[in-house]
Amino acid sequence: MPQIAIVGGGPGGLFTAWHLEQLATAPIEITIFEATDRVGGKVITPRFTAAPVHYEAGAAELYDYSPVGDDPLRELVESFGLPTVALGGSRVYVGGRAIANLDDLRDAYGDRACRDLGNFDTWARSVMTPREFFASGSDHAGSAEPSGRFDTTLAALPSREIRHYLETMIHSDLATPPAATSVAYGLQNYLMNDPAYMRLYCIAGGNEQLIDALVARLAATMRRSTVVEQVGEGSADQLRLTLLGHEGRREADFDIVVLALPMDALGRLAFASGSLAAAMQRHLAHHDHPAHYLRITLLLDGPPHTPTDDDGYLMLDAFGGCCLYLESAREPEARHGVLGWLLGGAAAESMAAWSDADLVTAALATLPDPLAVDPERVLEARVHRWTGAVSSLPGGWQPLSQDQRHRPAAKTHPGLFVVGDYLYDSTLNGVLDSAEHVAGCVAAELTDHAREI
Amino acid sequence: MTAKDQDATARHDVDADSGATGLAVPGGLPTTAGLRRVMVPPGRAFDLLIVPTEGEPADSGDWIERARLWTAAPGLLPKQPAAHTAVPVLIPLYGCHVIWAPARGAVLGPTGRLDQLQVSLLEFAGCEADLADLELRCNRLLAATEGDAAAAFEFDERGPDRRAELASRFQEAVAVRRGLAALGPAVHVPPVHPPTLASQLAERLRDRTRLPERHELVTDRADFVLQIYEACGQRASEAAIARRQMGLEWAIIVILVAQLALMIVELLASRNST
Repeated sequence: MPQIAIVGGGPGGLFTAWHLEQLATAPIEITIFEATDRVGGKVITPRFTAAPVHYEAGAAELYDYSPVGDDPLRELVESFGLPTVALGGSRVYVGGRAIANLDDLRDAYGDRACRDLGNFDTWARSVMTPREFFASGSDHAGSAEPSGRFDTTLAALPSREIRHYLETMIHSDLATPPAATSVAYGLQNYLMNDPAYMRLYCIAGGNEQLIDALVARLAATMRRSTVVEQVGEGSADQLRLTLLGHEGRREADFDIVVLALPMDALGRLAFASGSLAAAMQRHLAHHDHPAHYLRITLLLDGPPHTPTDDDGYLMLDAFGGCCLYLESAREPEARHGVLGWLLGGAAAESMAAWSDADLVTAALATLPDPLAVDPERVLEARVHRWTGAVSSLPGGWQPLSQDQRHRPAAKTHPGLFVVGDYLYDSTLNGVLDSAEHVAGCVAAELTDHAREI
Repeated sequence: MTAKDQDATARHDVDADSGATGLAVPGGLPTTAGLRRVMVPPGRAFDLLIVPTEGEPADSGDWIERARLWTAAPGLLPKQPAAHTAVPVLIPLYGCHVIWAPARGAVLGPTGRLDQLQVSLLEFAGCEADLADLELRCNRLLAATEGDAAAAFEFDERGPDRRAELASRFQEAVAVRRGLAALGPAVHVPPVHPPTLASQLAERLRDRTRLPERHELVTDRADFVLQIYEACGQRASEAAIARRQMGLEWAIIVILVAQLALMIVELLASRNST
C-alpha cells in the first residue's frame, strides 16, 4: 500500500489528506505530522477564559467566489453542513471621520474626490473583470495581469485624500505596503470589496469548525507533537523523513511526501540530498516574500457602543490601515462584546515585539469617538502574532505554473510536493486550490503506478 | 430631546403627495418631524415618517422606538401572504435609521441624508407592495388549481360550462407572470459599487425582507399555475373540437341514413314498375 506523508497539520495538510482520500482509487496510507499538539494552523477560534466567548485569532473570513464561478471551499463548507454568516463592512474611518459610501466621501472631500474614486473604480474594473479576478493565480490567469508595483498606481491618483482612503481600505488585506506588492494583487484587494467580484463570509460559531469537521472525517493517521526535522532519500525512490516526537528521534520512508508548511517552517526544514536542498532553496527564494499580521482581540463586559449597523468589520487609518472586526455584532444575543484589530504589514512586524499590555493600550487609543471603549470594560485581551505568516506577492513577481509551484524537484524527486497558501493569494481558498492540485497529481500518479504493477 | 419635542399632542401635517388629511406625527418626536402619504404601486397608500436628527442618533433611541411603534400600528397591515413579514424591519445605517412595514415607513437621520433615504425607501416600498400583491394573486390562483387541476387532464361533461371561468384564471395567471417578469430587474438588481447610502439601504431592505427569494418562489408558483391553466386551455380546445366533430359526424350519419332511405325508396319504386 502506498505510504503518503503529509508534513503540517494546518489547513493545507488537512485539505490535501481530504482530497487524497476522496480521489484515491486504491487503498493508501496517509500519515499527517504536526509539530504542535493542535491541528488547524491559521484557522483558530479560541475561547476567552473570562467568559465562554470565542473569537477568530487567525483566518477571520472566507472568500465566496460562487457569484463568479466554482467555489470548492464554499462547497466543502456546505457539504459539512456548517452554517455560514455573510460578512460585510464598507465603513472606513479616516481622521476620525466615518466614510461608508459615496455620500460620506462627497461630504468629506468634495465632488472632485468622488469623481477620482469613480475613475479609479472604472479603471480597476476595466483592468480586471470578475472572471479575471476569479482566475488570478491559476494557469488560466493569462499574461494580461498588470505586474508593476501597486504604489505607482496609487501615486497616479490625482486626489491625495482618495489615495489615503484606498490605502486605509486595503492595507490590512495586503499585509504589506503598496510598494511591496503588485498592481494585480493591489487591485484584487480593492475589487474584493465589490460584491460582483466576491463576498465574504465566516462560519457561524467559529471558522475552526471547518477543521474539526475535516479531522472528524479523515481516516489518515494523525501524529501530533511530531517534528519533521529532515527530508532525505530513502530506499527504492522513497523519501526518508527524520522525525522527532514523544518516542524520540526516528526515521521513516514514504512513497510520497507533501510539505504543507508555512514559509518560515519550510525554511527551517533540512534536506539531506544536495539536489533536493538546491531545489528547495530555489523554491524558497522564489516564494519567500513575507508579509505580517498581528491580531489584538478584546473581550468587553458588554457589547461595545458601536453603531448597531449590520457591518461585521470596519477599517481604521491607524497602524497604516487596520481592520477592526466587530465580532460580537455577528451574534445578536451576545452578552459580551468582542473587538478584534487586524494589523498588517510593517506595523504588524515592528509591533510584534511589543508587550500585550502596550498593544492593547495602542489598540484602544485608535478607536474613534463613536466607538470609544473605556479600558475598565476590558475583561480579557488576547494577542496573536502572525509574523511572516503570509506572502506579499511583490510587484514584477511572476508566478510559476501550477506544476512548477507544487513540485520543486519534479525530475530528481518526483515524490515530493509542496502545498501552501503562499503559492496562491495567502487565503484559505488559495490553500484549498493548492491542496486540490497536489491531491489530483498524487492520485493520478498512484493510479498510473498501480496500472504498471 | 427638549420639553417642546416631548409634546404629547400629536401634530397634523399636510400630506405633500396625495392631499389627503388625517395624518398625524406621533407624539414625542422632534418638532421638525414630518409625515407624507405616498401612493405606491399597485395603488396602495404608504405613510412615511421623516425625523431629522443630527449626527449619530445615539440620543434618539426613544425616537426610534416611537417611530417603530407608529410603523407597527395594528390594523394597518394589508392582507398579506403567510410568508410575508408583519413585523417592522429596523435598519440602522451609518448614523441613520430606517424602519419599514408594509403600509408605513420611517427615516431618522441627519437632514442631509433624508432625501436619499426617502427615495430609496419609497422605491423599495413600491417594489415590495407590487410583489406582495402578486404573491396574493398567485396564492389565490394556486388555491384554485386544487379544483381545476382535474380539468387539466380531461374535461368531464361539466367542463365546457367552466370554459369561461378557466379562461379568466388563465388570463390572470398570465398577468401575474407578466407582473413578476416586469418586477424581476428591480428585485434582482446587482449591488452598486462604490455604494451610495441609497444603494446600501436598498440592498439591506431587499436582503432583510428576502425579496429575491420571495420573487423566485412566487415565480415558480406562477409557472406551475400557468402550466395548469395552459393544460386546461388545451383540454378546453380539444373538448370544443371534439364537440364540433361530433356534430359533423351526426350530420354525416343523418345524410347517409337519408341517402340510404332514398335508395331503398328508389329500389322499391323500380321493382313495382317492373
